[in-house]
Amino acid sequence: MSRGDSSSSFSSSTPLVPAPDEALIAAIRSGDERALAQLYRLHWPMVSHFVLQNSGSDDDAQDVYQEGVMVFYEKVRDGSLELNCQIKTYLYAVCRRLWLKRLTSKSRFGVRLQDDDDLGPLHHTGAEDDLLAAEEQDRRFTTMSEALDHLGEPCRSLLEGFYLLDKSMQALTAEFGYTNADNAKNQKYKCLVRLKKLFFAHYKEAPL
Amino acid sequence: MQTESDYYALFEAYERGELAPPARTGLEARLAADPDLALRYADFSELTGTLRAVGQRRALRQQLRGLHAEMLAAATEKQPVADAPAPGPLRATVNPLLRISRTERVLREFWSGHRATVGVAASVAVLAVFGSLLGLEWWRAANTKPSMYGYTVLRRELSKLQSNQRALRQQLVGGAGGAPGAPVNNGKFSGTGFALTADGYLVTSYHVIQGADSLLIEGRDQQRYHAETVYSDRAHDLAILRIKDRDFNGFGRLPYTFKAGQADLGERVYTLGYPREDMVYGDGALSARSGFGGDTAFYQVSIPVNPGNSGGPLLDEHGNLIGVVSGRQSDAQSAAFATKSSLLLRLVDSLAKKQPAAPYHLPHTNRLAGTPRPQQIKKLQDFVFVVKVFEKD
Repeated sequence: MSRGDSSSSFSSSTPLVPAPDEALIAAIRSGDERALAQLYRLHWPMVSHFVLQNSGSDDDAQDVYQEGVMVFYEKVRDGSLELNCQIKTYLYAVCRRLWLKRLTSKSRFGVRLQDDDDLGPLHHTGAEDDLLAAEEQDRRFTTMSEALDHLGEPCRSLLEGFYLLDKSMQALTAEFGYTNADNAKNQKYKCLVRLKKLFFAHYKEAPL
Repeated sequence: MQTESDYYALFEAYERGELAPPARTGLEARLAADPDLALRYADFSELTGTLRAVGQRRALRQQLRGLHAEMLAAATEKQPVADAPAPGPLRATVNPLLRISRTERVLREFWSGHRATVGVAASVAVLAVFGSLLGLEWWRAANTKPSMYGYTVLRRELSKLQSNQRALRQQLVGGAGGAPGAPVNNGKFSGTGFALTADGYLVTSYHVIQGADSLLIEGRDQQRYHAETVYSDRAHDLAILRIKDRDFNGFGRLPYTFKAGQADLGERVYTLGYPREDMVYGDGALSARSGFGGDTAFYQVSIPVNPGNSGGPLLDEHGNLIGVVSGRQSDAQSAAFATKSSLLLRLVDSLAKKQPAAPYHLPHTNRLAGTPRPQQIKKLQDFVFVVKVFEKD
């Protein structure tokens, strides 16, 4: 925050200069891919170091870091991010929490993490709450993916094409060989009805 | 009646803003009025929203993977550029630690996974090792006697077979007129002893009579006496016995004297003893004026001695008694040890001072000096005895 206050003039044409947090968040919110890339590069060494130091591999570090960045990114895109610390601290807290969870599920013994000390207190970063929300979100997404898998062809491809890959109805009509767009649409709605049953059956009955 | 898919078509058109204004207001009014329809619409929104979000999530994941690969490629391609963005607050220790070799990573994983187990195993091993070492040392210290390794005392163990044979032979030999009811000898150990005074004091080694319940003294001509221990000196391996038989009336005049000083290196010395049933003569030279482990209370002599020789007299050429045979070194050739006579004399003196009522009449005249060895032995042999030791079972 303190660094963010001092300068607000961020130009996305100089990606190698570390941008102050606020400008970076603004750039990411507006959908600037280079800002995301910069953010990613900027904090990777810290998280990678943390995971490697706490008995993780490079792949573990990558998984954890991408998970963390995803949480951050989605919050930023939602506009629901309430950051009261540096991005760095926030990311560190999120990734630390994620890695701790994985370690405890792997290990028989209690886990003690070695922390970098110079990041300040990690309690008020809001990372815990955000992660809980993200877990809930994850569960929803997993259920949806499973429902899609259970749907069978051609429904799955049709729905994935329309909703996930943002293809137009015309393109899908041609791809699946329907006689006209209305047929394709009707098919899509029928598929949607089946998907709805599958999704809500699994999602609602799963324990919260 | 509309089917669910019809509703979906309607909802989608509504969300896209493709409905004509009257139909749109109509739908909004129905949504507000009909909870079932509202619920259906909510489900539809959630479904499509989740679908889109899943799509975004997949795209994002893809993007991040791309970013990571790109970053790694940049890092390997241009090391300094990759390092450059690391801002000030990052600690200097961060970057060097990032490059860890494959083996080291495997080792680190192993270590972090089994740290606790390894720790427990190591401490158990350490405890076991030191525990058993200390235990062994303690046990050995508690069990080994002060007597030194390599030193063999020369008292003789009598086997039952030998004693039975002997009893048999005695019966055969002495059948005519000897003691017919000779008790079967079941002594456990035997050694040699010799007269200290004419009136019934004898000297032998302490280890011969160690643990004795009763003692039997046997002379060359089958005379037998019961004896008791008067004094024993464990440190110098000496014991003084006294014959307690009532009908005992003295050994007669002793032919030898006790030498108060030290004998010289290289003197010809000899001993008489009972390593077997018969008296055995052994001679040699005085080879050192200290005993096993440098003990100055002993001489070292080069006489071949055997179990049973213990307590035997050690005499020089002139018939002076210079020592009492005690033991030998088991790992050296012909190295026997004998307690110095000066110590014996000192012991006798101290005893005499304690009990002035029962004085020790040590011999004063030497009747062996100047006679050849066989003559000396003839005079000597009546004063050398077998000491038989009986132990309580």
